[in-house]
Amino acid sequence: MEKYLYIALFAPLVSSLFSALFTATPKKQFVGIVASFLIFSAFVSSYILLGHIMDGGEPIHVEMMTWMATGNLYIPFGFVVDQISVTMMMVVTLVSTIVHIYSIGYMDHDKGFNRFFAWLSAFVFSMMILVMSDNYAGLFIGWEGVGLCSWGLIGFWFHKDIATWAANEAFIMNRIADLGMLIGLFLVYWNTGTLQYEGAFAAFAQLDTATLTWIGIFLFIGAMGKSAQFPLHTWLADAMEGPTPVSALIHAATMVTAGVYLVIRSNELYSLIPHVGLFIASLGAFVALFAASMALVNRDMKRIIAYSTLSQLGYMFAAAGLGAYWVALFHLMAHAFFKALLFLGAGNVMHAMHDELDPFKMGGLKKVMKWTWIMMTIASLALAGIFPFAGFFSKDTILEAAFAEHHMVIYGVLLFTAGLTAFYSFRLVALIFHGEERYKIFGIHPHEAYRFMLIAMSPLLILAMIAGVFQAPFFEMVEEILGAAEYHIHSHVTLWIMLVGTQIFVGLAILYAYKKYGTWSSVPDGSSKMENSFIYKLLYNQYYIPYAYEEYIVKPYNEISEILWTKVDQKIVDASVDGIAGFFYSAGENTRDMQSGNLSTMLKWMVAGIIILLSLAVVFGLAARYSGEIMAILSGLGV
Amino acid sequence: MLDHILSILIFFPALAGILGFMIDKKSIRAYGIAVGFVEFALSLWLWFAFDSNVSGMQFMENLPLIPSFGINYILGVDGISLFIIILAAFFTMIGIASLTKTKNEKNMIITLLFLQMTMIGVFSALDAIVFYVFWELSLVPMLYIIGAWGGPLRIYASIKFFLYTFAGSLVMLVGMLFMAYFFYQATGTWSFAILDWYRLILPESFQLWLFVAFFFGFAIKVPMFPFHTWLPYAHGQAPTIGSVILAAILLKMGTYAFIRFSLPLFPDASVFFMVPIAVIAIIMIIYTAMVAYAQKDVKQVVAYSSVSHMGVIILGTFALNVEGISGSVFLMIGHGVVSGALFLLVGVIYDRRHTKLMSEFGGLAHVMPRYATIFGIMLMASVGMPLTINFVGEFLSLLGFYEQSHILTLLAGIAIIVGAIYMLSAYKKMFFGNITKDENRELKDVNKRELLALIPLSIITIWLGIYPKPILEPINNSVEAVVQLMHNKSTTVEAKERIPNVSGIVISKTSTREAH
Repeated sequence: MEKYLYIALFAPLVSSLFSALFTATPKKQFVGIVASFLIFSAFVSSYILLGHIMDGGEPIHVEMMTWMATGNLYIPFGFVVDQISVTMMMVVTLVSTIVHIYSIGYMDHDKGFNRFFAWLSAFVFSMMILVMSDNYAGLFIGWEGVGLCSWGLIGFWFHKDIATWAANEAFIMNRIADLGMLIGLFLVYWNTGTLQYEGAFAAFAQLDTATLTWIGIFLFIGAMGKSAQFPLHTWLADAMEGPTPVSALIHAATMVTAGVYLVIRSNELYSLIPHVGLFIASLGAFVALFAASMALVNRDMKRIIAYSTLSQLGYMFAAAGLGAYWVALFHLMAHAFFKALLFLGAGNVMHAMHDELDPFKMGGLKKVMKWTWIMMTIASLALAGIFPFAGFFSKDTILEAAFAEHHMVIYGVLLFTAGLTAFYSFRLVALIFHGEERYKIFGIHPHEAYRFMLIAMSPLLILAMIAGVFQAPFFEMVEEILGAAEYHIHSHVTLWIMLVGTQIFVGLAILYAYKKYGTWSSVPDGSSKMENSFIYKLLYNQYYIPYAYEEYIVKPYNEISEILWTKVDQKIVDASVDGIAGFFYSAGENTRDMQSGNLSTMLKWMVAGIIILLSLAVVFGLAARYSGEIMAILSGLGV
Repeated sequence: MLDHILSILIFFPALAGILGFMIDKKSIRAYGIAVGFVEFALSLWLWFAFDSNVSGMQFMENLPLIPSFGINYILGVDGISLFIIILAAFFTMIGIASLTKTKNEKNMIITLLFLQMTMIGVFSALDAIVFYVFWELSLVPMLYIIGAWGGPLRIYASIKFFLYTFAGSLVMLVGMLFMAYFFYQATGTWSFAILDWYRLILPESFQLWLFVAFFFGFAIKVPMFPFHTWLPYAHGQAPTIGSVILAAILLKMGTYAFIRFSLPLFPDASVFFMVPIAVIAIIMIIYTAMVAYAQKDVKQVVAYSSVSHMGVIILGTFALNVEGISGSVFLMIGHGVVSGALFLLVGVIYDRRHTKLMSEFGGLAHVMPRYATIFGIMLMASVGMPLTINFVGEFLSLLGFYEQSHILTLLAGIAIIVGAIYMLSAYKKMFFGNITKDENRELKDVNKRELLALIPLSIITIWLGIYPKPILEPINNSVEAVVQLMHNKSTTVEAKERIPNVSGIVISKTSTREAH
């Protein structure tokens, strides 16, 4: 079985290095095909490993070699395939295989075709390290690795200023969170003596709550960055400048869920500190609502989906924070399927519309893009949580968990957000695919995507529809390791009212979205009453948070840096050094007249010197003679 | 031959340099490369013959110079100095090999060979006076390199560099004389041998004064805030090769000396000054990173980034535990490789455009993709990406210091944020966007001669990031000995607490390893 572990882990690396060989050469179709094939082989290996674990096989644990060892610290390159990591491996390899194949079509005309596959496969490799490592340091390698690849892929079109800016923003914002993560690692190491999950988890039980709380908080800060939780969320929406397959893979299905994975992986820690868990759940619920509200009015197709991702990450954190780790993991998986599908569909639309992103400039596309329309509609239904699609099984279980744990506020917020989710999802679908064909104004002739791209997407379509059937076997698999409990609402009547009520509520939201936007006929120009209302402006400007960051963090940082350089470093620190040097120099300059070589001047100085020396001699001589008296006088003065 | 390998390593380049005067101008480069290569091969042989399991000094040589004052020519290496010596040999070799067309090439190569002698001398000397002689001699070739081949402000920069560091070293020399005198008072014999000094336990008040005296010499060399302002001028005016050697090796003399002198000689004072020095280190990290961000000249960005990274090294050193000191020694190697490579990279573009202003560039990734890739690798190493050489050192340094102070480490950890800010924005300005200047449209990508230096450095950067063990293990063994010595020598209660007892750790380590 170890063989499969190594294939799953290293096939993406091979793929990346292979593609990297061709970065300097013009586009080569076979690079994409070979890369896709290698990623697919990683998927097959993961699938075999999944089978092994599902059959009740022992988790596979390998230690390749030592990475760092000094003092008491010992960090190996160790990898583990257990119930949690195998789930993540399946999600990662499946979505990345599909995205790789899809990208062969999507990046067809791009100059950086080969480079794209090098980065994309490198990302998959980092992600595999992240989920397969058996210690926190290894996780951190993957953690930073995905950050690096995300930087390279957001800024893939590096001639676009806005794209490279977004790439740097994402990297730096993640770094802020990574500092928290790093401190978390230090705390783990100095309190447990190891960074291995096994050893650390075993030692957690003996630690006092305060220490555990700090560890929990700092690790969660790391998770907040990767998973773009408030207040470190702004990078995710800006990251949409990257190519759409990247958004589907990295900024929807895999990397952004790394934070959730961290919390689930550290469940033995968070179970010991339920108060931190409650904070995580509350923040998750808040972000769910907060992000959904911004998605309501946005006019950028990809950003709407990005906010929806953010919102769903909030759901996952809410579940994980409440201790329903298996539910969080299940939602992570289901979400990866339908959200990747939604993004890839959006990619088709973008291609058809020549990179137009404003859904108000589209409309009526279902005639020319039938399959994309079907796929995006089903993905949206799954996202909204309509029975029997994937989202129903995962999201409703989160609601049930919140209800069963008696956190009514969180439950209420999540329920309300479910309605918003349904509304903005179908607002998007209605604006793109229904109503009048507004794109004609702009002289665009849309066309459906390549057939093989649609076929590549189809596994996601199927999974978005039927992922619910995996709930029971999944539960059985992770039951042991995640201490999973099924959430029983005591009375059946309550349960049914909840289920049906939620469905009706969500269904009404969908209908309302269709009614409002299904027959839309004009492109808004900012003059309507709604667009000038305070709430609309607030939401449209993302609560002015990016503006505030720019105004109160970025600009002051620039200014302070400038002041530190021109004023402090040059005017104070360096000028004092030069001042001291200048003092000696000018002292020399001013006294050089003494040595002018003019006899009369020199005699004058000689006389002055003799007088000074003589008077000193007299003073010291007198002082020596009358030392007794001087002492007496001084003591009399009280010295 | 192995018995005198250190002497050979020191004096072979100098001798070759003298002979170099007789070599024809046309063949001097080949001659220089050959000498550099032989020297590097010898240093590798040293590594090969080095026994990693021995924590103490190896290949020791002892030759009396002025026996009545206990001044002897004593040499030796341990895991701490070994790799800096190899690094010095390596950088001199590739420095000569990748040297661009310069006027008076012959003088330059001979100067570099002399510089190599002084560098290896500093890192292998075990007698304070011999150490001091090499330490000061190293200024001369550098003064000449900056003064003769530098930019418009070269005279100002070179004199500033010389006088500033020289002034600091004089204070250090006074400290050394006092130290020898105290040794004489305690034992009745004069000795400048560092290993003899290690055995001397000084009262805390003496330690404090001596620590301060040594500190001035080292801190200016490192350079630590607020003594760092000579560095931007020196780098700004120096030719590429000067900056490379300065950043890669010469700065390490200061941090190395902290570990060789300050920590084992004055353990109580090290503990006493730990917090103030950590505060200085944090100022270095954050303040110079912000200053680096404000620079318009890419070489100045790299220069200030050096100061920022040296802050992390200092912090790791004053963690006073095995993790931190090993990390700081490793980061010395890592920073040497990465900053050396970055200065070489800046030299590449300077040779083509004769400017270092970032506003003159933009969109270089379109015309120079290989250059952009190698710069990208070094950029990521510089910001401490895991699996690159710098991460290991940075991680261990910060990890080590965390044991001493949580809040100070949290502040120092800001290094990973501010480092990313100035590096990424510099990279964006240089490589991303569209080409706006016509001069940049026809730029040639890196050529073979430049790749000769850059590819080995890239390989080392990644190789030691993935597999640091061959270097980390010998470092670790020697550092354990240093920490144990400090623990045994320390007299105050606080120092005993702060400096761990390594022998206790060794036992628990074997048990945890068995458990895995």
